[in-house]
Amino acid sequence: MHLKPFLTSALRSATSGGARYHVWMGLLTLVMLAGAWAYSIQLRFGLGVTGLSDHVSWGLYISNFTFLVGLAAAAMMLVLPAYVFDDVDFGRAVLIAEGVAVAALVMCLLFVIVDIGNPLAAWHLTPGIGYLNWPRSLLAWDVLVLNGYLALNLAIPFYILYSHYRGARPERKKYLPWMYIAVMWAVSIHLVTAFLLAGLPARPYWNTALLGPRFLASAFTAGPAFVIVLLWVIRRETRFPVAEGAIRKLAVITTVAAQINLVMLLSELFYKFYSPTHHGINARYLFFGLEGHHALVPWIWTAIALNVVATAGLMIHPLRRNIRWLIPACVVLFVSIWIEKGIGLVIPGFVPSPLGEIVEYVPTLVELGVTAGVWATGLFVLTALVKVAIPIELGEVRSPLAQEPQPARVIRPRAARPRYDDDRPVRIR
Amino acid sequence: MRTSGGRPVLPASLALWLLTACVPSGQSETGGPGPGPQGAGEPAAIVAPRNDSLEPGTLGSVRAIPVEGWTGPGGRPFEVAVRTRDRESGHARRFGTVTLRTTLRGPTPDLVQYPCTSCHLGRTVAMKDTRIGDAHQNIQPRHPSLLGAVCSTCHSPDAVDMLALRTGDRVGLDQGYRLCAQCHFAQAEAWANGGHGKRMDGWQGRRVVMGCSDCHDPHRPAPLPRIPFRAPTILRNGGHE
Amino acid sequence: MMDAPDRPSPGSVPAEGSLLAKPVDRRRALTVLAGAAVAGVQALSACRPASAVTDEEREVKLLAWREYIKGNYRYMTEAERAETIARLERQAMLQRGSAVTIQSTGAQPGVVFGYAFNISKCKGFRSCVEACINENNLDRNADTQYIRIFEIEDGVVDLDHADASFQHEVPAEGHFYLGTQCFQCADPPCVKVCPVGATWQEPDGITVIDYDWCIGCRYCMAACPYWARRFNWSAPEVPVPELNTNQHYLGNRARKTGVVEKCTFCIHRTRQGRLPACAEACPTGARVFGNLLDPDSEIRWVLEHKRVFRLKEDLKTEPRFWYFSD
Repeated sequence: MHLKPFLTSALRSATSGGARYHVWMGLLTLVMLAGAWAYSIQLRFGLGVTGLSDHVSWGLYISNFTFLVGLAAAAMMLVLPAYVFDDVDFGRAVLIAEGVAVAALVMCLLFVIVDIGNPLAAWHLTPGIGYLNWPRSLLAWDVLVLNGYLALNLAIPFYILYSHYRGARPERKKYLPWMYIAVMWAVSIHLVTAFLLAGLPARPYWNTALLGPRFLASAFTAGPAFVIVLLWVIRRETRFPVAEGAIRKLAVITTVAAQINLVMLLSELFYKFYSPTHHGINARYLFFGLEGHHALVPWIWTAIALNVVATAGLMIHPLRRNIRWLIPACVVLFVSIWIEKGIGLVIPGFVPSPLGEIVEYVPTLVELGVTAGVWATGLFVLTALVKVAIPIELGEVRSPLAQEPQPARVIRPRAARPRYDDDRPVRIR
Repeated sequence: MRTSGGRPVLPASLALWLLTACVPSGQSETGGPGPGPQGAGEPAAIVAPRNDSLEPGTLGSVRAIPVEGWTGPGGRPFEVAVRTRDRESGHARRFGTVTLRTTLRGPTPDLVQYPCTSCHLGRTVAMKDTRIGDAHQNIQPRHPSLLGAVCSTCHSPDAVDMLALRTGDRVGLDQGYRLCAQCHFAQAEAWANGGHGKRMDGWQGRRVVMGCSDCHDPHRPAPLPRIPFRAPTILRNGGHE
Repeated sequence: MMDAPDRPSPGSVPAEGSLLAKPVDRRRALTVLAGAAVAGVQALSACRPASAVTDEEREVKLLAWREYIKGNYRYMTEAERAETIARLERQAMLQRGSAVTIQSTGAQPGVVFGYAFNISKCKGFRSCVEACINENNLDRNADTQYIRIFEIEDGVVDLDHADASFQHEVPAEGHFYLGTQCFQCADPPCVKVCPVGATWQEPDGITVIDYDWCIGCRYCMAACPYWARRFNWSAPEVPVPELNTNQHYLGNRARKTGVVEKCTFCIHRTRQGRLPACAEACPTGARVFGNLLDPDSEIRWVLEHKRVFRLKEDLKTEPRFWYFSD
């Protein structure tokens, strides 16, 4: 019975805000419209308006999809310490992280839709009315796990927010089992995505056992980095209290994951370059170019340089604990992982082709427009979700039908002057 | 600047409209800049097929004789096709009602066209035609001369319409395979079993193959070089034209 | 900044329970009106619904709708297959005035196709490529070619050093020629990965695609180790006079934008006992085709008496396409 007021107040929360909020959302809307227009061109003329070809048949869309599945997975993996170990510090951050997961999943699904050549036929994937080639096709697995994960990430936070909105306390026994499932599911969505690439003997660049673990490591690096930046923005823009401990723990997770990612990268590089077998030819194209074709070489070296520098910086405790260094390091790390996992993973898998032909790939404006539109949609969804969740969590929005708000576990809004001074470096203990 | 209530309603509706607006169908089937339908239900004129392929049943018009001395795989007998003998057939490889383009031969005169007895009457060459300077000048054998063979190795002077085997037998031009097989026994074996040469119809049913000289000019048997059909369009920087 | 909770604004006049008693916010009214206006514009726009102008237009839309909602050809009944073929033939007539015959011929029992390619005899003429383009109604705009002929230097069978873009007199000294196309593998990786089951292998060994079921995800293209599959990046076009009207549902019928296609060993010919167009067109007789299950076939003789090899044998795809030399 609280549902209708919940939805209307949520809509109101999402559509009202300060000037900067409206400018942000307005900008995103413009980019979304541009993306929609670019997609309409793609629908009209076919995927030929992109830079894709029979040789490089997956490009920017699937690169972003791969990266964003990692983001969605990592966001959920932060849930584990919060709910299972009842870590108060993390508790606040987790709903935000689930919002990131939902937004990332929406982007994933959109990238898949814009990538397929016959989107009107997407209903063929529905078991029952269509035919889903499960369990043989890893893409069928991906369809199931991604949609299941989206359902989980919508249902659990909805339950928690709705309970708070009603003034009730969410029952642990109702959501905790699903939380366990969701954490394991998070690992599985990214492993499934890794397997769908790694399971192709036709593509030696991907056909390695390390691809799944590399995916998880890079997801654990980019995901928490993104959440850190998001929490920092929230702390600056709203009264939502973000504990320093939460950010610290996330920073540690990011750093350790970045180190593991670098070790895995080193392992792959050794395997691919120590002996000049056919298996290393795609890596040779990526890192050094082949027969005069070297479009990706500057990209990958930039990504690795940024990755190493950011990781090294994060490993230094005083730097990591100083928000002024932490935020840029997280941004740099995020960008470098995006380049490495997006451009540096999907595209070199196709160059050279299985018959040894070299055709490079350069995205067109239409492709870039659609990609930007999808990213804007994701950020729009994320902002809206966060905008809805925060007032509820702060206790500022309650159902008009609610009883007296329960005082237990209510969050105290942050005071006007933050307790932790962003400008003062924190001493090492 | 605030819209009414701060809701981005109109832009959102516009986005929805753009996404769902019916775009002109890019999903057309094959067809395109060709002529449109001439009235409802009337098919456009279809010209002759591009491939000189054998339509079902055409094999019946091809004259073929059973092959002697060889059998196909599994001991199955097979036949060799005989070219149509008429002066108008020109340089084409005509078999029955079918003209096949599959040839390795250059524009040398068709052997069938050359009625040897028009000049050679009996053992002595009595030139009926006074253009003696034309006799055989266009045939420059590259084939047997490397091994020391001369014209009379294969063409007996006393039976110029036939081919002479080493055993002394004479065979007709339709059985040229017996001559070639004397030296090219490996190729003949492969030819009989399908690893060499061309089969006239399909993979199933009555097996009619082409004879040796239908592809190879006996006097210059190596396939002639040619300019190939166009190379594929490989756009090195991806994308499309 | 936060509005007051949802409570009716005071001073509303109409009686309780009536429609007019609902409080109407000016903002809300404008929103609804704007949305309705946009929806109305869309409805009146180019997307004309059932009120098509002529009978023919209505028929075209009805055919398109029925084709859209049909299922996977592999699991259709005979009646459903006949219906969809009738619709497709009718569509071809209406759209371009060409009378095509679309077969639904099944596999012959006791037949599995095999192919052998003689790399001594191939001279790089590409007659096979030309025949394939004509026979299979391949897109002339994109110059789609199922067959790829590689020119390789003597001494190495390595596709990394092969050149398919040669355009000079052939055969070139010191080189040999090798052609690839779909090998109709016995354990096809493309079939395994298709999420909707739009591609499968028929009993006679031909891996086929239901173009109307394919969603165009291109996973099969990533999975094929021999680069055998092609995608329709734009609307495929074949000039009507060059159209081959002898078609098969699973083969050379009209494809559309956004679906994958590939060599089907000329399924519309080989199921009738004829050779594929490439084998028939080859002037040098480098291509041998036949039934692997027939011990007396030419293909079996080649496999048993010649030194044969296949590409990427280690991937265990078991292609049914062998290479041999004299």
